[in-house]
Amino acid sequence: MAALRSSSSSSTARILASARPAFRLSAAAPVRGFAQLADGAQQSQTATDKPAKMKTFQIYRWNPDTPTEKPRMQSYTIDLNKTGPMVLDALVRIKNEIDPTLTFRRSCREGICGSCAMNINGTNTLACLCRIPAEDQAETKIYPLPHTYVVKDLVPDLTLFYKQYKSIKPYLQRDTPSPDGKEYRQSKAERKKLDGLYECILCACCSTSCPSYWWNSEEYLGPAILLQSYRWLADSRDERKAERHDALNNSMSLYRCHTILNCTRTCPKGLNPGLAIANIKKELAF
Amino acid sequence: MASIARSALLKQAASASVRPAFHSSLRTAAFHTTARRALLPPPPQIIEGSVNDAAPVPPPSPSHGSYHWTFDRLVAGALIPMTVVPFAAGSLNPTLDAILCATLLIHSHTGFKAIIVDYIPQKRMPKIRMGFNWLTNLATAVVGLALYEFETSDVGLVEAIKRVWAA
Amino acid sequence: MNTQRIGTTALRRVAGNPNSFFTGNVAKIGFASHLNTQTRQVATQKLTPVDGDAITAKQRLVRPVSPHLEIYDKKQTWFGGSAWQRITGAGFSGGLYLFGSAYLVAPLLGWHLESASIAAAVGALPLALKGGLKFLLAWPFVFHAINGVRHLTFDMGWGFSRNTIISGGWYLWGASIVGGMYLAFFV
Repeated sequence: MAALRSSSSSSTARILASARPAFRLSAAAPVRGFAQLADGAQQSQTATDKPAKMKTFQIYRWNPDTPTEKPRMQSYTIDLNKTGPMVLDALVRIKNEIDPTLTFRRSCREGICGSCAMNINGTNTLACLCRIPAEDQAETKIYPLPHTYVVKDLVPDLTLFYKQYKSIKPYLQRDTPSPDGKEYRQSKAERKKLDGLYECILCACCSTSCPSYWWNSEEYLGPAILLQSYRWLADSRDERKAERHDALNNSMSLYRCHTILNCTRTCPKGLNPGLAIANIKKELAF
Repeated sequence: MASIARSALLKQAASASVRPAFHSSLRTAAFHTTARRALLPPPPQIIEGSVNDAAPVPPPSPSHGSYHWTFDRLVAGALIPMTVVPFAAGSLNPTLDAILCATLLIHSHTGFKAIIVDYIPQKRMPKIRMGFNWLTNLATAVVGLALYEFETSDVGLVEAIKRVWAA
Repeated sequence: MNTQRIGTTALRRVAGNPNSFFTGNVAKIGFASHLNTQTRQVATQKLTPVDGDAITAKQRLVRPVSPHLEIYDKKQTWFGGSAWQRITGAGFSGGLYLFGSAYLVAPLLGWHLESASIAAAVGALPLALKGGLKFLLAWPFVFHAINGVRHLTFDMGWGFSRNTIISGGWYLWGASIVGGMYLAFFV
């Protein structure tokens, strides 16, 4: 049975590699990525001479097929010498080799898609950008994003989050055509205002770290959506500033922010949702 | 599936000679999702409209939004000199003392209101929300009257605190 | 067995619809299924979008909410300046409201809440207890005052770098405890 498993997984790897040349490149690189996690044979040859470096991960489990069962924490122990450096590498390894039922979202493995946002050791972050605390002997605890409805295991339901994103009209709104009929030009200074805003990947780490958003997610927009809102308010090309202001000018949408600033502390991309919200408040203040 | 995984596991473990650690790798622990007495347990998930509809945008109301926020900051900012100066300078101007009391009352009132807005959601418990709002209004009126009494018949807030502190 | 089935379906389809492009594809599928040993014998059924939404809506109702306060970084939840700003503020305001209400009804109930009698009562307390009580009032006052200024600077858009936020939080605790001690024991 084990042989069958390994052969099927290596054939999967082969198919993946042929379909996506990028994967082959990363597999050739020394110790990186999860492409080579699937390729267990090559790994174990290089790693057997080193002493095993075991690390235990406690992971939140809940299965929608048995909804009456309470969510539980399940422990998995893996050898870090055979695993890539990031928590996502460990998760992929656990899913490949120990428990295929473990469910989580992942896609780009380089912090640009925002799929693998989860709560690791108490802080929201992207699993692909979070190093495994290898020196720390304590068990690493992994939960889904806090105060979200859980679809399965580490997969949160972000429907409301995306609906809120849609409600702020995250696109350029403009009536006057550009003078040259080609493009809407910006000065360098105007463009610079968007730095630190356009990089947001909507991973929902900040919103789900915010206690205000925990208690009032139905009406409060949360840091991520407000940062996106400010991204369009700060855009010199947008012409609906007043409407955008009006949409936020009520007791719930914006002003449930009490500058707790968990958002800025947790952002895996190093952005500053707290500052963006403060800037919106300043714009609205007088 | 578990048995399949385990046999594969054991073979691997034998090759890497780390059997005991792998053996315990599938243990599970009980876990409480919610606090034993959650004060405001979240309701079952209900999504209004389809997944492609935008979340509703509330109508603009600056008196609950930007004006309210600015007013709050001005009151809070005004409290800084008003609390420091009388104690530092030892001045006992009754008018200043009365203004301090009024500002404190406003600051407390908006603070309580903010707590109500945060923790008693309008949609889920409108009646409790309204009850607490009126209770706060009533309490503020009562305390306003009490502070008026205190200011007129006693020594004033700053002087009272000074005396109690020095006692 | 699966291959066999696909083969027969393919034959049947070829017989009914002699399309060379389609047959080519079927041949490929049959070939690929030799390589891939994974099979998925699940019966599927067609659903209208409305039915699908109904199933999702039903699934949503049983979803648990992931843990939040109890698992989030304690430094940010239990020691968060903002949370304690609210707790200390509500404590003082609640105290003011309680005292105010009591002061108003005191003449009716025969209580003595005039400043002179309170001062006398406090003066009669043993020194340690007095100091402790004063610290219990002074610490939240200093905390609320310092953090209030800190929040006003946040509202001006200052001090938002991650390091400033984190170290500022710890300075806030240190300064408020030192300041509270000073007010309680040296004033």
